[in-house]
Amino acid sequence: MTATWERCIRLKEPLKTRPFLIFAGLAALGLLLGAYRELTGLGYVTGLNDGYSWGLFKNWNVTALTALGSGGYAVAVLAWIFNEKRFHPIMRTAVLTSLLGYGTGMLALGFDVGRPWNFVWLADPRTWNHYSVLWEVAVCMTAYFILALDVENMPPFLEKMYRSGDPTKKEKAMKIFRFMQRTFPFGIALAFTLPSMHQSSLGQLMYLAGPRVHPLWQTPLLGLLYLLMAYILGFACVLLVLALSSYAWNLGWDADIMQRLGQIMAWAITVWLVVRYADLAYRGALGYIFAFNKFSIYFLIEEALIIVPTLLLFSKANRESPAALFRLTFLICVGGLVYRFTPTTLAFSPLGDYHYFPSTFEILMSIGFTALAVAVFLYAVKTYAILPASQGKIAAEEAMRPFDTL
Amino acid sequence: MDVNRREVLKVLMGGSAVAAVAAAGAPVATAGDSQEFALDPEAVGLMYDATKCIGCRACMPACQNANGLKPDVGGSGGLYMQPDTLNAHTKNLIKLYTAPDGSERSFMKQQCMHCVDPACVSGCPMKALHKEPKGVVGWDPVLCIGCRYCQVACPFNIPKFEWDTVNPKIVKCELCRHIVGKTVSQPACTQVCPTHAVVYGKRSDLLAEAKRRIKEKPGYYFEDRVYGENEVGGTQCLVLSHVDYTNLGLPKLSNESPAAKSRQVSDFVYRGFLTPVVVYGGIVAIVRKRWKEHLEHEGGDTTHGEEKRA
Repeated sequence: MTATWERCIRLKEPLKTRPFLIFAGLAALGLLLGAYRELTGLGYVTGLNDGYSWGLFKNWNVTALTALGSGGYAVAVLAWIFNEKRFHPIMRTAVLTSLLGYGTGMLALGFDVGRPWNFVWLADPRTWNHYSVLWEVAVCMTAYFILALDVENMPPFLEKMYRSGDPTKKEKAMKIFRFMQRTFPFGIALAFTLPSMHQSSLGQLMYLAGPRVHPLWQTPLLGLLYLLMAYILGFACVLLVLALSSYAWNLGWDADIMQRLGQIMAWAITVWLVVRYADLAYRGALGYIFAFNKFSIYFLIEEALIIVPTLLLFSKANRESPAALFRLTFLICVGGLVYRFTPTTLAFSPLGDYHYFPSTFEILMSIGFTALAVAVFLYAVKTYAILPASQGKIAAEEAMRPFDTL
Repeated sequence: MDVNRREVLKVLMGGSAVAAVAAAGAPVATAGDSQEFALDPEAVGLMYDATKCIGCRACMPACQNANGLKPDVGGSGGLYMQPDTLNAHTKNLIKLYTAPDGSERSFMKQQCMHCVDPACVSGCPMKALHKEPKGVVGWDPVLCIGCRYCQVACPFNIPKFEWDTVNPKIVKCELCRHIVGKTVSQPACTQVCPTHAVVYGKRSDLLAEAKRRIKEKPGYYFEDRVYGENEVGGTQCLVLSHVDYTNLGLPKLSNESPAAKSRQVSDFVYRGFLTPVVVYGGIVAIVRKRWKEHLEHEGGDTTHGEEKRA
């Protein structure tokens, strides 16, 4: 089972397997319901109301799940800035999960806004409210998606073009490759700067709500905490996707890469916890922890899901066991998502008598967006050289140099 | 490995040095900022004195007529029912508070407070919500994308959304800005109020009048205080009542605007967009170096696997 992942390979498996069809079906259902939502008002199909006007789409699919989509950003920081070269073979998997996380998040946002036709005014800088944190998120996320994520995900497509057998396509692919070779560092730097901005802004959004968010979560440092959590969840997502892929398609287990990822994640959580509790202490909010009202229960669940597996991750034996590493990372992932979700919904109290629980329609749409990401992932790894494999496994469609180990 | 970490730290420290220099220049920018969000001396608003309100609710249909809002009939099939809170049909609502022990009662006029530095305007990504001349908080249907961040941000939970249509609008009091100064001289609610419990005017005049009433009857109004004078940096609609304002649905809020606090954090982090530029430059420098190493290691020209192996 142990392996050393060195190159990316395309899986030579039929696409239309049962899991693919299930995910594709759920995605189609979600999109169909989305189309229906566009023909009715939001109120008919969702549980949203004037008190809780943001629900599953924004708070779960965007605020929480794009943190999972930060894998490309988080692993790139390790590979490029801290020069941990061992992570290069998993970069393609990481940037693909990012593309899908952000893509489906932005799709959810598109279905959530009530007057999407007015997005055209974003083209006119006079309408920009640059004081608006939400404007920053919208523009910065779009820029990241178009300028950085698409470019980072180019090499597998170009390889396919190159090997298509058509000489004009081959020539074109080479041209783009040469251009990318010159401009690549500028793109990578953008892929660092932009997510740093919007992942923190996603937290800062709720700061404007002031006293409506419970003091266990409301802090001027929301942005920093959300940003750190984006790193943690980014690592977690890449680790879980690789573990599941390795199990499903027998890719072997690169213990060096995986345990190191787990170790870095544990340290990142430690930093997050220091900031979290120092902030709570500084604001004098520690007392709320043991109030044993619903907020204190949410807090304790969230912290237990994060702290307990992190402590266990500091043991090397746990990190070297694929099963233990997978389970601990999964728990951290759940805890981290709970943290990113809570300030927007569970710890949010509008004035007056309002309650929110997502409608079945809303839940099916939200699941559909995630299913779409999974279905596209399955398609991509069977069409392009994405997943890492050891040298021995490499077949004719070995990835292109010098982009093969990115 | 160590060498690399040191390099990274060096670049990051270089960045913070630039940021520190920028911080020194920041007060200039902040001064302009506070100017932009300060109280307009010509700002207008309402003063609602709950002790003068008789609860006739004449202001409610007047508001709906002036603003083209249909009566809120809920699911009754046409029978008008007083809603329990503001909604997409109701910009203005008179409520009655009775203490559980029956010891005190007060009416309350629920509507947009027209903050001096409003959270909704600060949060609105497209300037759909904006400050009109004289400080009225207006909404522009041409710019609104329907994101509903205003609803999340408003400390008074005022902006309402039309949930039952494909062309939804944000509904909130705009002080009848579409008719005031054109066909009428004041908003519909103040026009019809029989006891002048709610009056329209310049905020400075209204505040002076509110304070005069408090001075005239010391101990009569709650805490001898005008709600809205200082709350969230001041509101242009002011409320006077003899009962605790929190019982009327007016929350206890700090005197600092959440919008101003949010801008402070952003200004601190971004330094007039200098921070992202510095970080970007630093990262480009590091990655270019790594990329060069990578190309040397993997073969500089774009060759592909087959050729290399052959």
